[in-house]
Amino acid sequence: MRRLPVYLLLDTSGSMMGEPIEAVKNGVQTMVSALRQDPYALETAFLSIITFNSTANQPVPLTELTSFQTPPIEASGTTSLGAALSLLAQRAESEVNKTTAEQKGDWKPIVFIMTDGMPTDDWQKGLNDFQKQKWGMVVACAAGQAVDTSILKQITEVVVQLDTADSSSFKAFFKWVSASISTSSAKIEEGGKEVGGLNELPPPPPEVNVVV
Amino acid sequence: MTKTIKLVGISGNTIEFVDNGDPMQGGMKDVYFSPDKSYVVAFFRDYDFNKNKQEYNNLKDRMLEIVTTKKDGVFKQEGGSYWTDLLCWPYDLVEHNGKLGIAVPAYAKHFFFSVGSRNNDFLGIKGKEKEGKWFASPFHFNKNLDPHEKGDWYKFILVCLHIARATRRLHSAGLAHSDLSYKNVLVDPTSGKAAVIDLDGLVVPGKFPPDVMGTPDFIAPEVLSTKHLPKTDTNRKHPNIQTDRHALAVMIYMYLLHRHPLRGGKIHDVDPVKDEELSMGSKSVFIEHPTDKSNRPKMADVKPSHLTPTPWPDVSKLPYNLCGPYLQSLFNQAFIDGLHNPSSRPSAGDWEHALIKTIDLIQPCQNKSCEMKWYVFDNNTKPKCPFCGTSYKGQLPVLNFYVKTPAGKFSYENHRLMVYSGQNIYQWHVNKNILPNERLAPETKKPVADFHFHNNKWILINRKLSSLIDVSDSNKEIPIGSSIEITDGKQILLSKEEGGRLIIVQLVNNQ
Repeated sequence: MRRLPVYLLLDTSGSMMGEPIEAVKNGVQTMVSALRQDPYALETAFLSIITFNSTANQPVPLTELTSFQTPPIEASGTTSLGAALSLLAQRAESEVNKTTAEQKGDWKPIVFIMTDGMPTDDWQKGLNDFQKQKWGMVVACAAGQAVDTSILKQITEVVVQLDTADSSSFKAFFKWVSASISTSSAKIEEGGKEVGGLNELPPPPPEVNVVV
Repeated sequence: MTKTIKLVGISGNTIEFVDNGDPMQGGMKDVYFSPDKSYVVAFFRDYDFNKNKQEYNNLKDRMLEIVTTKKDGVFKQEGGSYWTDLLCWPYDLVEHNGKLGIAVPAYAKHFFFSVGSRNNDFLGIKGKEKEGKWFASPFHFNKNLDPHEKGDWYKFILVCLHIARATRRLHSAGLAHSDLSYKNVLVDPTSGKAAVIDLDGLVVPGKFPPDVMGTPDFIAPEVLSTKHLPKTDTNRKHPNIQTDRHALAVMIYMYLLHRHPLRGGKIHDVDPVKDEELSMGSKSVFIEHPTDKSNRPKMADVKPSHLTPTPWPDVSKLPYNLCGPYLQSLFNQAFIDGLHNPSSRPSAGDWEHALIKTIDLIQPCQNKSCEMKWYVFDNNTKPKCPFCGTSYKGQLPVLNFYVKTPAGKFSYENHRLMVYSGQNIYQWHVNKNILPNERLAPETKKPVADFHFHNNKWILINRKLSSLIDVSDSNKEIPIGSSIEITDGKQILLSKEEGGRLIIVQLVNNQ
């Protein structure tokens, strides 16, 4: 059985302190509960959390949804987005099973990146590490107005923005993430086109704006 | 913020829904409940009158036909009300803020989990819809579902029978469902019921093109292998009745064996997306193909916990022939002959008949704690339950059915009935001209005779048969209310009428 690896990269820098970080924790919890109720996601999706502030950490390695527990998350420090991308590349390299001639591997990982500020480290180096690997859907989310979305656009085509980093926006975002993981009937696409990008995802709620 | 919207449907009736700003979201539709929750109103998300009038009007034309002429064609026929439980058919059309909505009956109560998952519902699925996927994988079936939700093997045969029958009805009206999958079929293994939902995707061949390709696991190989072609290319294969037949065969296999018939160990490409396309599409191979063994599942890929209590993923322990000869032959036709040759696939009616005949072959397992409780008696010398391994002990009468040929002789029908205590004979056993389907009157669905093991003898009690005759005992009549002992070689005529069957008893003995 192919697993669908899902990596959540969460900004836990100081600016997330208070309502935003609590909203993120609730969002993760709600998302996992929703995914457990979806027989497709429950069977296929494996979830990992990578947090980044002054450094990047992986409090939850790739884990089956039935045994996933939301880790304690604290907000403090700076925004090491580059380190997070490097760690993501390194962890995916070792956790995701590759298909060989004898063994069916995993699906390409899907990645959701959520940040509320400008990267404070050498994010270009992280981007290079990240780009050395193959990914499935990659969605970057700018929480609030303090993010330069053009940086996120270099990581992925699919960038969305929350107007404000408040709990109702985070709630809507994580609900959308969870719906994106649950797949639905494949829509007929015009021949010759790779299915990809936002078209493959359910429509974002009003709180989540697509950055063009 | 929550408000009730009142609209007038195309039928002239009032249609209401509660807009709480947070609809349930399906693949294509946003769904709202009516105030009394007896129906839902589902709006098509991607069609907006103000953005694309032509697309919208095409959709409206198609839905109009589904809620009027197509619906009446099924429900206004003789026995039409039978389909209310099997086909969750949209019955009205509304327009609101540039969006088109359909009114659809809410699902029956038994299609929602009453217990849910194990360990006091650790997944929190109590009250959620019984989407078929929960019952179609060894992981969910063995590890997640509470035993109270799992029914037994007999009930799964009934579930499949209802799905096949509903599909047969659509096909005989010239309609293809186009997205038949465990997402669009609700099942209740505790009662054996099933209902086909999402009928708004119905495809009328040549008239309305399909707008979905189907759901992974159920998309026919020819649809997958031509999906790179432009939509208008004549070589591009779209969902139709033949692709529904593929989906139906896959679904029946999955509900009876809790694994996918094409997902085996064979690797076609190191890229998972390409590998998936090839292994479900142009290069697909039946995992239990008798001669091409290249796609046998690798047990090393299976988690040990998915193999207990019942080793569904292991085709060597639970091969598909446990489903009995009639289903085995249709699986061969669907996954060997017809896999890449759509016109050879068995029809929904073929499945319906084979499932009905298979019901006559099943026996209760003598192990009271057997998980599946019923199995197809394989008629070999040492029959045993394939699920728990318990051997059958004792005497078992097998009734072989014969019908009169035009020349006046009785010939064997390749149809038999396995007897157990409490087993019934129905009208469709008595007379070959009576078929168990929606057209039977309720009175005709009742048992007419039954079997019991009494004082160490097998007996048949006649309840309603007006001309039951013991042919082996100088054509003695067995009147209603009396019984006849069932012994080896006994010949009994069930009815003197035209089409009446003769049974010849074969007594299997296992001590």
